[in-house]
Amino acid sequence: MQVIETFKHIQTSLEAAPYLLRLGRLFSETVLIEIGGSEYYLSFDKGHIVSVTEGPSRKTPWRFALRTDAEALEKFWQARPEPGFHDIFGLVKAGRGRIDGDILSLVKNLRFFKEVLTLPRAKEELAA
Amino acid sequence: MSIEPITGRYVTVTVGGTPRRIYFEEAGQGRPVICLHTAGADTRQWRHLMNDAEITASNRLIAFDMPWHGKSLPPEGFETQEYLLTTEAYIETVLAVIDGLGLVRPVLAGCSMGGRIALQLAALHPEKFSGFIAIEASDFQPAWYDIDWFHRPDAHGGEMGAALVSANISPFAPDAERWNTLWMFMQSGPGVFRGDLSFYTKDDSLIPRLARIDTGKTPVHIIVGAYDLTCTPEDAERTARAIPGATLAVMDELGHFPMSEHPEGFRPFFVEALGKMPEPAAKAA
Repeated sequence: MQVIETFKHIQTSLEAAPYLLRLGRLFSETVLIEIGGSEYYLSFDKGHIVSVTEGPSRKTPWRFALRTDAEALEKFWQARPEPGFHDIFGLVKAGRGRIDGDILSLVKNLRFFKEVLTLPRAKEELAA
Repeated sequence: MSIEPITGRYVTVTVGGTPRRIYFEEAGQGRPVICLHTAGADTRQWRHLMNDAEITASNRLIAFDMPWHGKSLPPEGFETQEYLLTTEAYIETVLAVIDGLGLVRPVLAGCSMGGRIALQLAALHPEKFSGFIAIEASDFQPAWYDIDWFHRPDAHGGEMGAALVSANISPFAPDAERWNTLWMFMQSGPGVFRGDLSFYTKDDSLIPRLARIDTGKTPVHIIVGAYDLTCTPEDAERTARAIPGATLAVMDELGHFPMSEHPEGFRPFFVEALGKMPEPAAKAA
């Protein structure tokens, strides 16, 4: 699956997860996900992903960025990732990811953002 | 209906010249084993082992909440203090509790900052203990996060702390126990997680002390989970190598809170560790 499709899947899955929308209700920011140099902008409005846009773009302001590579992200999205690939901070510690920008914005919404990003992982039915 | 065998009581001890009312739980009989919780959490992390009839048949597991944690209140006047745990205060608290409970040379089992202090006690006060089980424990690691994130007027430190430490929980952990584990962090008092991490991420005084640990007198067994980002297997291996005679077990499917996040996965490693500890010298005690 193209990664843009995966982000679209995240967008749809998020709409089916009311508890996540509640967690993200104060989050209205654009996040840059950079994968092997390719840019993807996820724009959130009150927890909803309102657009997924492929870059490159010099004009899209973003609040924070997660930069990684395609192989690392594929491992990250396994149902049970190997150690280091199980969390965004694991990617950073393993030297396979970098987080920059307004880190405090990320940390204040950390549970929300981490759970949104792991939506593609195969798991049991999401709790309503 | 089922009533668990764990009982909880309070003991008042003096730490830093002031009385501290400490909550402790215990279960079992026989060899005393003092269990230390991680930063930002409390005694509930040990609930599964304390409810394990086979383990408590010959081991008296005792866990206590550090002051400011769980059901142990902060000291009088806390409202004007900045909570910053130190190695010295932590050591004094552990020694005061074992004296207050009248324990004779218990085994000390500690996780994370509790594992760090277990190794400090192995170096500085070995005569007070019979052996050390140091879980997710290492000599020192600096923070890979900003500890000030977890105590701010404009955000909930507990929720942020839980979201951060979830990075240290194995994907093999059952969901229910993952969330029970995180709940304790969500519940911790304002600034407590930060105050624990302050010493844990800044005090490297253990490093030169490791070589003086005499495992011939007090065995040291280190256990580490592969999914632990804070104390990695590499950190634990380096630490074990620096302690002559220390033993090490790596748990492939566990993280930083093994006794709490994945009790079934952790159990055999804890039983193995207990097996490496000396039997009590005298039954009469």
